[in-house]
Amino acid sequence: MSATIIDGKAFAAKVRGQVAEHVARLKAEHGITPGLAVVLVGEDPASQVYVRSKGKQTVEAGMNSFERKLPAETSEADLLAVVQALNADPAVHGILVQLPLPGHMNSDLVINAIDPAKDVDGFHISNVGLLGTGQKSMVPCTPLGCLMLLRDHLGSLSGLNAVVVGRSNIVGKPMAQLLLGDSCTVTIAHSRTKDLAAVCRSADILVAAVGRAEMIPGDWVKPGATVIDVGINRIERDGKTKLVGDVDFASAVEVAGAITPVPGGVGPMTIACLLANTLTAACRANGLPEPEGLTA
Amino acid sequence: MRAAIIDGKAIAARMRDETMAEAKELAAQGWQPRLVSISVGDTAAAELYVRNQQRSAEASGVDFEARNYPETISMEQLVGVLQGLNADPRVNGIIIQRPLPSHIPVKTLQKAVHPLKDVEGMHPASIGNIVYNDLALGPCTAVAAVEILKTLPLKLEGLDVTVIGHSEIVGKPIAFLLMGLGATVTVCHHMTRSVAMHSRAADAVFVAVGKPGLVTGEMLKPGAALIDIGINRVDGKTVGDADFASCAEVAGWITPVPGGVGPVTVATLMKNAVLATRMQMAHYRAQYAHTEV
Repeated sequence: MSATIIDGKAFAAKVRGQVAEHVARLKAEHGITPGLAVVLVGEDPASQVYVRSKGKQTVEAGMNSFERKLPAETSEADLLAVVQALNADPAVHGILVQLPLPGHMNSDLVINAIDPAKDVDGFHISNVGLLGTGQKSMVPCTPLGCLMLLRDHLGSLSGLNAVVVGRSNIVGKPMAQLLLGDSCTVTIAHSRTKDLAAVCRSADILVAAVGRAEMIPGDWVKPGATVIDVGINRIERDGKTKLVGDVDFASAVEVAGAITPVPGGVGPMTIACLLANTLTAACRANGLPEPEGLTA
Repeated sequence: MRAAIIDGKAIAARMRDETMAEAKELAAQGWQPRLVSISVGDTAAAELYVRNQQRSAEASGVDFEARNYPETISMEQLVGVLQGLNADPRVNGIIIQRPLPSHIPVKTLQKAVHPLKDVEGMHPASIGNIVYNDLALGPCTAVAAVEILKTLPLKLEGLDVTVIGHSEIVGKPIAFLLMGLGATVTVCHHMTRSVAMHSRAADAVFVAVGKPGLVTGEMLKPGAALIDIGINRVDGKTVGDADFASCAEVAGWITPVPGGVGPVTVATLMKNAVLATRMQMAHYRAQYAHTEV
């Protein structure tokens, strides 16, 4: 085994600690407590787990957590009214509508009803455009977490060849924007890419975000490359359920310079970045300087 | 010379004809497309562009009004003007001519244009739509460059494309438009270690940097398409970012400068004007047409 294992759990704890310090200072010096509102519609068990976990970590960071739980049969109009009320509430600095929404709702419409300044998921079309034009925005949590891990591990990313595998709206595309922002030469590869192996092998930074278990083997990895594995796939192996990434860890760890494990790599960073975004939103809303190193 | 030279003027003429037909159809429903161009202060630099746009509008069945405001106008006044235009149902698109005086940041004005009237495709919401692959109103130059590629007999799905230059209004939107069409896109810029390494691997190269002679024939894969978006003045002549002579020996297709992307960009603006009018008509009908009396 040669690669450094990037400990996302430890780094996420560090980020949460920084957020908590800033929150404490905001309270002491300005009397402001950042608040995050999470809206959950229906009773999807996985979503319930996420929402609980987000609420707990929000409180642990010293912030106010607001939960709005609505029954699955809630009308779109009623959900929009809840979002509007949160938009108008000065104690709420961040709003997250847990996805997926029930089938009778138009997710785009709901997400775009959130005040872009409170859109801590960074999915509002204005935030997407602001990120795309290099302006101040709310940055989606998972790619922001990946960027923080990369900066922590590599220092400057300038001039490196980065390959992002997967072109999803929530990871691949914003990840590419962030890497361009840090002056990487960026290639976005996907299911239609002709020679994916060759493209991956050209990468100094390889970000895998496709959602296919262990599809990237070690011999697609350039020796010494930094590999960020965003995938979280549940598979059956030896009669047990296991979580694996999009990269075949066992073979990649022999080739890469550094690699994130699954679980314990990118995963823990997502909620840490959600807290960081809420803090950033609270600072902006109050005209205070943004904490350094906690956003793109 | 082996490359076929892409005739941007002919592509633009075709687009204008299509736009004209659509404009007439909209006008027949009471929605004559109409653009308002705003320039501020000394207009010498922008005058050529405005004249060009005006001519293209006439040939596309789009009404065009050029307004000029004095250098002394304040930011607040200008935003007020834009809000008035946003609210006016007879105005379907707003163009903000550059350069602007230094006390008026262009991004602030672009954000003040209603996204449904953003025919230049510069509003953050317009760019966001491009990223999310919802092709509404895109930035004209980027859309034009991609439209040109689409006229070539190349399968875009899986096509290896290198974009040189990562500007917010050209390079990056081109990358996202192409990605949406299934191409594998690499974006290079001034920090890229070896642009040639990436450009040589590409089936199509887009260059939008503003440096004459940046791309030479030896940086291309034989038979590749080269779309040159640069416009530079060298010794009184207009040239692109590519060294045309050497690139034309290697490429399969090449856009000339002038006469390549430029005319298609103006034609795209008119196409956007018609698209914007159509979107506003649909919006208006959805909002008001079903009101019960």
